[in-house]
Amino acid sequence: MSHGDFAKLLEAYGVPGFAWAVRLRRLAAGEDEAHAQHADGVWAHGTTVIAVKFDKGVLNVADRRATSGNAIFSEEAEKILKLDDETLIAIAGSYAAAFEAVRFLQHSFKYYARSQLQEMSLEGKLSEVSRVLSRSLPGALQGIGGFLPIVSAFDKERNEGRIFFYDVMGARFESREFGAAGSGAERIRGSFEYIVRTKGPFHTMTLEEALRETLLLLEIAASLDTATGGIRQSLPLAKTVTAEGVSDVPEELVRSIQKALVKE
Amino acid sequence: MAFTPYDWQQTLRQKADYVEDRLREGSPVVGLSCHEGVLLVTVRRAQQQKIFEIYDRLAFAGLGNQSDLETIRQLAVDFAHAEGFARSPQDVSIQRVVGVALSPAMKRSFSDPLRLPLVVRGLFAQVGETPESDLFYLLNYDGEFSLAHRFGVAAGTEGAREAMERLCSTRTNKKILKHDAAIELALEAWAVGRREALAESASDWRAVLSQALKTGGTAEAALLERASRRERRFRFLSADELKPFLPV
Repeated sequence: MSHGDFAKLLEAYGVPGFAWAVRLRRLAAGEDEAHAQHADGVWAHGTTVIAVKFDKGVLNVADRRATSGNAIFSEEAEKILKLDDETLIAIAGSYAAAFEAVRFLQHSFKYYARSQLQEMSLEGKLSEVSRVLSRSLPGALQGIGGFLPIVSAFDKERNEGRIFFYDVMGARFESREFGAAGSGAERIRGSFEYIVRTKGPFHTMTLEEALRETLLLLEIAASLDTATGGIRQSLPLAKTVTAEGVSDVPEELVRSIQKALVKE
Repeated sequence: MAFTPYDWQQTLRQKADYVEDRLREGSPVVGLSCHEGVLLVTVRRAQQQKIFEIYDRLAFAGLGNQSDLETIRQLAVDFAHAEGFARSPQDVSIQRVVGVALSPAMKRSFSDPLRLPLVVRGLFAQVGETPESDLFYLLNYDGEFSLAHRFGVAAGTEGAREAMERLCSTRTNKKILKHDAAIELALEAWAVGRREALAESASDWRAVLSQALKTGGTAEAALLERASRRERRFRFLSADELKPFLPV
């Protein structure tokens, strides 16, 4: 009996959940040194993912580049994913770790709801993300396999969008206006503050206004960080979470703002 | 304690009689393919839920002891999620859940003379890309299961099941119903099964349904949506959505 705990279910079924976590524990314990020496540069890394509030909820945008060392792996990477119909996660860091964690979380939420016949609370979901992060800690400490997520959700009780970010050990923080992660995000951190102080808080902006600001931020991040694809190479990914749940921002809207920004 | 083959056969017969007795007055469940997805309909007593979401494309409904329904449901949910994570959600099929995970385990349990039989008859449904690819599996308390297309029913007696299947078969002959027509047919099928099982004399199916609703029954219906933007395709129809179809 797992009482809705998906990790326990996987144990009972002998499913090797978190194969990467096991590998990383071995690496951290020095049992797999041959791989450890080569691991640097094998894992996909840098990026820029951004979450900001807007008047109807939370907007997430991300560039599409995945890198490994100074090689570009892909210009079509998806770094904003649906955890469930009401929750988005934007990921920066090791792809292998993040993707396995997201798959785990998706199943974990669904499993809880279906087995317990009630939805998992927002608080419950956020702690589950913490737990997953603490499992990937050995990898994070080695400089490989760590990842940082930004979770966006619509809080139906408060009737507002909420943004949460985490440190590598799984500590959770809530952000009032915006959150960003990845190598590019570090370099543009001050710009968010500048926008809030000069143009007003993100949560009063319309979707279009917020989208324009965030795409411009992505473009600036790309000019300062080689691991960020920006908005020129491929169309950035943009999703929202509102009272109606998660949805994609229409491609035409993203494209029209992208065109205008590139021309400027 | 030693068992002769005679004892063993006798035990199985007694077990089957025991279960059949308890299923006889159970409220039937109806599954129907429609354009919008797969519809599951029943009437439950008070708060005892009878229709359940199992996995992305799978749902389950049944009659019998609530605790036994729960056993089957949890086994199915556990298996589906462990498999869906280990491989992919597309690899979780009704055939694997019912045929591989549940049926053999139920057969073993039923043939064990020292175990109490599960009092349950369940209907599993899987929504496909098209109504033609929807699947229904009827799972019996002894682990036996059978496959059906277009519609599937589970009822307390053979007679009730046949009457319901006859009705559904005539009405869905060579056509796929729309959502509203499917709800209406499902409710009618439920009432026909109910009338047959209880050997009631009412000629109008609406009277049977109305009587059930007046005596503590609540109509319960869920839809596994065929084309959905949402991760979770399963949703219960609200009381407001059902109201127009129920007798006043």
